[in-house]
Amino acid sequence: MQKQSNLLWVEKYRPKKIEDVTGNDEAKALFLEWLKNKKHTRKAVLLYGPPGVGKTTLVMATAREFNFSVIEMNASDTRSEKAINAVAKPATSYTSLDNFSGAAKTGGNVLFLDEVDGIAGNEDRGGVNAILKIVEESLVPVIMAANDPDIEKLRPLKKVCLLVRFHQVRIPLIIALLQKICVLEHVKAEFEALERIAQNSRGDVRSAINDLQSLSEENHSLTLQDTMMLSSRNKDISMDDTLRGFFSAQSIADTSRLLSYSSVDYDDFLLSVADNLPKRYLDATELAKAFDHVSKADVFRGRIGTENWHLLKYFFNALAEASAVNPASYKPFTFITPPIRIMTLFWTKGKRTMLDAICDKIGAQCHVSHQIAREQYVPYIRLILQKKPKSPLAAWFKFTPEEVDFLVKMGRF
Amino acid sequence: MAASEEALMWVEKYRPKTLDEVVGLKDIVESLKAFMRNPKTMPHLMFAGVPGTGKTTLALAIAHTLYGANWKSFTLELNASDERGIDTVRDRIKDFSRYSRTGFGGDIPFALIILDECDQMTGPAQTALRRIMEVGSRTSRFILICNQSSKIIEPIQSRCAIFRFSRVEKQAMKDHLICIAKNEGYTLVPEAAERIVDFSEGDLRHAINSLQTASAYKEGVIDEKTVALVIGEASPMLVQKMIRKALYGDFMEARKTMYDIMGSFGFSGTEIIRQIQREIFKMSDLTPTQKAELSGVIGEYDFRLTEGANSDIQLSALLAQFAKFGKGIEENYAEAK
Repeated sequence: MQKQSNLLWVEKYRPKKIEDVTGNDEAKALFLEWLKNKKHTRKAVLLYGPPGVGKTTLVMATAREFNFSVIEMNASDTRSEKAINAVAKPATSYTSLDNFSGAAKTGGNVLFLDEVDGIAGNEDRGGVNAILKIVEESLVPVIMAANDPDIEKLRPLKKVCLLVRFHQVRIPLIIALLQKICVLEHVKAEFEALERIAQNSRGDVRSAINDLQSLSEENHSLTLQDTMMLSSRNKDISMDDTLRGFFSAQSIADTSRLLSYSSVDYDDFLLSVADNLPKRYLDATELAKAFDHVSKADVFRGRIGTENWHLLKYFFNALAEASAVNPASYKPFTFITPPIRIMTLFWTKGKRTMLDAICDKIGAQCHVSHQIAREQYVPYIRLILQKKPKSPLAAWFKFTPEEVDFLVKMGRF
Repeated sequence: MAASEEALMWVEKYRPKTLDEVVGLKDIVESLKAFMRNPKTMPHLMFAGVPGTGKTTLALAIAHTLYGANWKSFTLELNASDERGIDTVRDRIKDFSRYSRTGFGGDIPFALIILDECDQMTGPAQTALRRIMEVGSRTSRFILICNQSSKIIEPIQSRCAIFRFSRVEKQAMKDHLICIAKNEGYTLVPEAAERIVDFSEGDLRHAINSLQTASAYKEGVIDEKTVALVIGEASPMLVQKMIRKALYGDFMEARKTMYDIMGSFGFSGTEIIRQIQREIFKMSDLTPTQKAELSGVIGEYDFRLTEGANSDIQLSALLAQFAKFGKGIEENYAEAK
């Protein structure tokens, strides 16, 4: 048997009984009623709702209580017509062998197709039709689960299924559950911290439990400060939250954890950090140190390019160092967002091409290279054209009207 | 045709067309004149020296002297910093160097190839060039122009007569500027001329461009105030402003200036860092030791720039190092007191 301490808490505390499944009482009742009614009005049921609210858990707990054998297929299995038929056909055509063993009296088989909205177009060719056929012919109950039943390809399924909707689990229920786990795991937790985890999870019990475990397992304690590192996973990730966590970090470890949680775009984040750094470190020595780390992070970003992703850890490390130059000096401040991106705003490729063309024309008339044209001619010609818009100089260089306009407007944006 | 299309950039308008018109550079001009008396004796030439000291002008003057008004038909003018790869050498230079020009009406048995900014040429391109210079020497002559002759491979140097150009003398430059201004109908105040000369550091091209720009501000008199305005808008001054702001602890303003420079001139990070390096050594408020120390820091960030992903991050980081450095100077100063 697996050592208890190695278990993910979500697995360890997955409810064994139906009554222990948190929240969604209506959905539970509806589902059980369908299951108990042997003369099903509809042969299949589709449980749908956001992730982590207990759909799979309910099915498993029910099976345990009613002694069903669950034949499960989820997104990790191929679900082409052929595959589904191979697994599901036998299961739905005959009653389980267990019936003959006599060892345990079972309630028979159920077929459980988890994550049906994950049936992919090409790889799982004919999958939905195969399911429809099985539902039609099945001798055993068919249970399906999905996050989003509204997608086009599931529409045929909805017609033959009883739809059972799961909602986000209410925050107080999650808090109560987390408190229970804390007691069992001997974690001393501040109520506010649990509250924040619960709020942050947006009704996703699984993610709440995962957060609780990752934040408290090591020290068996949890403070509100610890939860500052949380960013709402996958949902509405805000750059602000990640930045706040980054700049208020107490240690390199804090930031590393934050960065591994957060899914903000690395490039945007790097630029935002660089832009906000001077507001975080007001002391010149600290700022210089922090910028040195950010500069190194940028070097790693450059080396990563589009393929050397194994270098990402060094990028993170360098950034993390920048966050923890002097944790004591942190004072809250307002972020500069979106980042000042004048370069990318103004110097688009088209404009660079135009500047190149201008330098070509200058070079042709004045016997100079691009570089000299750019450094010693463009700035002056720009001023001359600004002062004297009708200067014949433009015609002499054979500048187009667009090029003249470009020169005149340079530096004024 | 050529006469009606009078040059409008003063640098071009007042560029000497013949060796006799060239002001200064006496020794070099005399030697070149000697070659011109019997052009067949002219070897390949190399002009080395800082920018704006007349290297290109002399090369073009030689072309004029040799071929007269038709010089463009017998001269290939290439800017090596724009076309510096081996392909250019193999295709354009090689082809051009092989034509025999005898029988085209001129007495000059060779064509002229002017390669500007040769020190920007890649190593392989230089090696390819070496052979072409040898094989093509019956039908063509090269004038290689560069800032630093040390960047040109030895075999090429040994095939050329090398002439070294020094900075234009301040007084000569001042006189020249005043003369140009007068010709254009402006009075250039001596203090203003002084200012331009100081700013352009012996680079005549840069000086004349500043002068012409100042003339666009006001009719009649070009005074010191106008010149200061022009110079203040030029990138070297902005770069100095940025460096000073960083050194005096105003990082945010320094960074703002950096974005201004990038936005106004379209300079890349590498170009700005090169200018920073150049301007640091011009700044009189830093001691030689401080300049050397800063230069080391600049070098490090210059390197990171080539490897990094965002040039503005690297530049910001460099400015932050400057701010720290400036703080150090201040503290030392306070302690000494």
